[in-house]
Amino acid sequence: MSTPPVLEVEKLVKHFPIHGGLLQRRVGEVRAVDGVSFAIAKGETLGLVGESGCGKSTIGKTVLKLIEPTAGRILLGGEDVTHLKPGAMWPHRRRIQTIFQDPYSSMNPRLSAGTIVGEPLENFGIARGRDTDDRVARLFERVGLRPDAMRKYAHEFSGGQRQRLGIAKALSVSPDLIVADEPVSALDVSVQAQVLNLLIDLQEELGLAYLFISHDLAVMRHISHRIAVMYLGRIVELADKRTLFTQPLHPYTEALLSAATAPDPKRRRQRKRIVQGDVPSPAKPPPGCHFHTRCPYAIAECRVTAPPLIEVAPGHHVACLRRPVGGDPGPLPTA
Amino acid sequence: MTAAVNAILQVRDLHTQFNTLDGVVRAVDGVSFELARGETLGIVGESGCGKSVTALSLLRLIPTETGRIASGSIRFEGEELTLLGEEAMKRLRGHRISMIFQEPMTSLNPVLTVGTQIAENVVRHLGVPWRSARDRACEMLDLVRIADARRRLDEYPHQLSGGMRQRVMIAMALSCDPQVLIADEPTTALDVTIQAQILDLMLELKEKTGTAIVLITHDLGVVAETTQRVVVMYAGCKVEEAPVEVLFEEPLHPYTRGLMRAIPRLDIEADAAGTRPRLQEIPGLVPILTRPIVGCAFAPRCGFATDRCRVEPPPIVDAGAGHTVACWEVERVRASAP
Amino acid sequence: MAILVEDLAPPRRFSLLTAIRRNPTIAFGGLLLAALIVMAILAPVIATSDPFKIAPVNRLRPPSERWWFGTDQFGRDVFSRTVYGARVSLIVGLSVAAFSSLLGLALGLACGYFRRIDGLVMRVMDGLMAIPSILLAIALITLTRPGLGIVIVAIVIPEVPRVVRVVRAVVLSIRSQPYIESAIAGGTRNAKLLIRHVLPNTLAPLIVQSTYVCASAMLIEAGLSFLGAGVPPEVPSWGNIIAQGRTFFQIAPWTILIPGTFLAVTVLAVNLLGDGLRDRLDPRLARRL
Repeated sequence: MSTPPVLEVEKLVKHFPIHGGLLQRRVGEVRAVDGVSFAIAKGETLGLVGESGCGKSTIGKTVLKLIEPTAGRILLGGEDVTHLKPGAMWPHRRRIQTIFQDPYSSMNPRLSAGTIVGEPLENFGIARGRDTDDRVARLFERVGLRPDAMRKYAHEFSGGQRQRLGIAKALSVSPDLIVADEPVSALDVSVQAQVLNLLIDLQEELGLAYLFISHDLAVMRHISHRIAVMYLGRIVELADKRTLFTQPLHPYTEALLSAATAPDPKRRRQRKRIVQGDVPSPAKPPPGCHFHTRCPYAIAECRVTAPPLIEVAPGHHVACLRRPVGGDPGPLPTA
Repeated sequence: MTAAVNAILQVRDLHTQFNTLDGVVRAVDGVSFELARGETLGIVGESGCGKSVTALSLLRLIPTETGRIASGSIRFEGEELTLLGEEAMKRLRGHRISMIFQEPMTSLNPVLTVGTQIAENVVRHLGVPWRSARDRACEMLDLVRIADARRRLDEYPHQLSGGMRQRVMIAMALSCDPQVLIADEPTTALDVTIQAQILDLMLELKEKTGTAIVLITHDLGVVAETTQRVVVMYAGCKVEEAPVEVLFEEPLHPYTRGLMRAIPRLDIEADAAGTRPRLQEIPGLVPILTRPIVGCAFAPRCGFATDRCRVEPPPIVDAGAGHTVACWEVERVRASAP
Repeated sequence: MAILVEDLAPPRRFSLLTAIRRNPTIAFGGLLLAALIVMAILAPVIATSDPFKIAPVNRLRPPSERWWFGTDQFGRDVFSRTVYGARVSLIVGLSVAAFSSLLGLALGLACGYFRRIDGLVMRVMDGLMAIPSILLAIALITLTRPGLGIVIVAIVIPEVPRVVRVVRAVVLSIRSQPYIESAIAGGTRNAKLLIRHVLPNTLAPLIVQSTYVCASAMLIEAGLSFLGAGVPPEVPSWGNIIAQGRTFFQIAPWTILIPGTFLAVTVLAVNLLGDGLRDRLDPRLARRL
């Protein structure tokens, strides 16, 4: 591959210090992201899926340099931006844009829709005045909104329309990659479908790459090419979409698939296994494999050794001691 | 229609309205349904359809400064709830009809221990001494599968995880053996694996206690897996009602069909390799509830709409096997491709 | 593919009568304050006699047709002095509100946004807030000459920290909003972020706070003048009118009661305005019909 990946992340770590006591000393840390590596190629969607506390949102913000990484490397189009200060980071922001989850708080309530969407254009000096208005009008049309709505305020739009505004804003500077953090989670089903379809269309038309963060596997199934499953700051499985859904190897992936509700009454009570217990706190993750406390297949060694993420089949990576390279992809026997 | 004898809750032509700066919002616009003893009824719809307001209306929890039950009847075990005074309603709530809410974080009092909150409810409604109330609280925590219940009684809500807090809410709701439990989006704020646990728990408890459940959600998957009968709401009206298998097998209302097609699903085997199938969209937007709705509320977005649909409100059509639809064009919809 | 935006509720048209009906506190407080300001501006026209003119032959007359609020011990018309006194109170109130708002806004923005100076500046603010303005005023006046300007400075200094706190709190909460992160990701830099995204959202709480500062300042000025540490005694201020009337309270209560009532009513008007604005502008407290 001659062109470098649009985004590459190497052993990314992000710890948040916990302060306590009278003098507010550092008493511990939340290991939100604990050594994550992946790469996204041009035009590809990598889905990051996991439950609360798994670190997926933190990865999104760190990759955007809205949060500074504790360790590891971040490369945008081959260039190392890990240690860049805000001033030096600024020109790189053209290449990586974002869409947020909450369509209500991600828009400044006092600015008109046109101003919000056109702001990146003015920030980077791509357009000014009348030219900005023209470009914004075209962006509005591109995402399915009437251009004369430019003058309206954000709160005059519905949730789904606001997400479209967010997409228009992200598109304005023609980025290589868009980090989408739960972009459809707060939307109704019927609106969700509209926005997802829009995102897929735009990707195919413009060759955009997406880092798509969500907790919803069904949504992932529609929009991703490859999917990374995260648990407590680590990637536990990474594979292309079809393989992940038809041949999940990691016990946590299996648990997620089995817990997901499907609109099919016949699936009732046919659940293979409902994994018990609560998600441990990222401030005190279990030793060894983070998932061992809830894993039906855990063996003694799982409590001690943290399994590395290894490629057990072409393009299929798993972090599980009981899944060696070239092993049997069938169901695991319970310990 | 369930036999009236067996119906523990009967709602007839309920109208709940709110006064806002933009006019009167008809949040619930003529909704009728019944709940049989021990049955699980799902009320499903998207935001703004009136499902939560319906639930709040059942327990007369609508804030009185801005809203009111404009008309309609709610009969619980033969008693007319809309005519009861506030004192009588207070005796009912938490005792014979309980409710659990979406956000377990804010539904529990942060300065009282979990045991105190449950025991308080028991003392209030059953009048037993504090010690027995605490024992009952412990029993309830066991029932909802919280390990080490005795110790947990003395913990504060912030010491528990989201899933645990929701279990505590369920324990509190069931502590006085209610006949009806209203659950308003009980798992929406929880992680997927925890949601599965809670739904499983609710089903198990239902078998054990025989409580009837009204489950309100926007998630058709939850409905499919936990309910026996379903009511679909849109813009304050009931558009379809059916036993759950029938609804998913053959949805008759265009809105229900649209929803089913718009949901992302996990059945990837159906896709050709490497493709990304588009989801079917429902065009347009939910109507504004301050404007009077002429004809069928869904008509502007409906592929089957005729002129009559836009002018006359649709009748409730009986499609057999307990399946009713509010639509003029049932035959055409039935005949068209699923 | 184009979605109709017309489907959304049309924007509400503004009607003054409905606005007054829905916000009685703001309407009442605002009108009352406006009336007092007009009275102060038109003082030369409204006053029935010269407030400075001493006529001992007319001392301590009760309210009558000639002297609507009676006279004080120097024979000066209490009505005219009260009307002129409004000027001092309102000038002090409004200028203290204005200056402390400007300074408070600048410092609050800086502290809330640039965390590094926050610690130091807030400790200084805490220190300033601990100084009672009356003592500070007296100290400043002994160092310089008494006058309106000094009074204003002396009151501004302890009021600024209160404004800084409010602004800083708002800035801190805005800073963590997703739309700020969205703007940063979109390439917006600090200066533009502050001016376009942060500042407009601080104005509402700032305006509300400034009404309370105004009320507080008027009371403090009255107190200072009462103690003789405010404006010079010949210049009519409600505070010093009351001070001078103290000795004769039992035989001529109008010299205290009238200016006192005016002071109370003005402070009430400003507070009502502030409360009304606060309720109206705070999205969480805003109630519907």
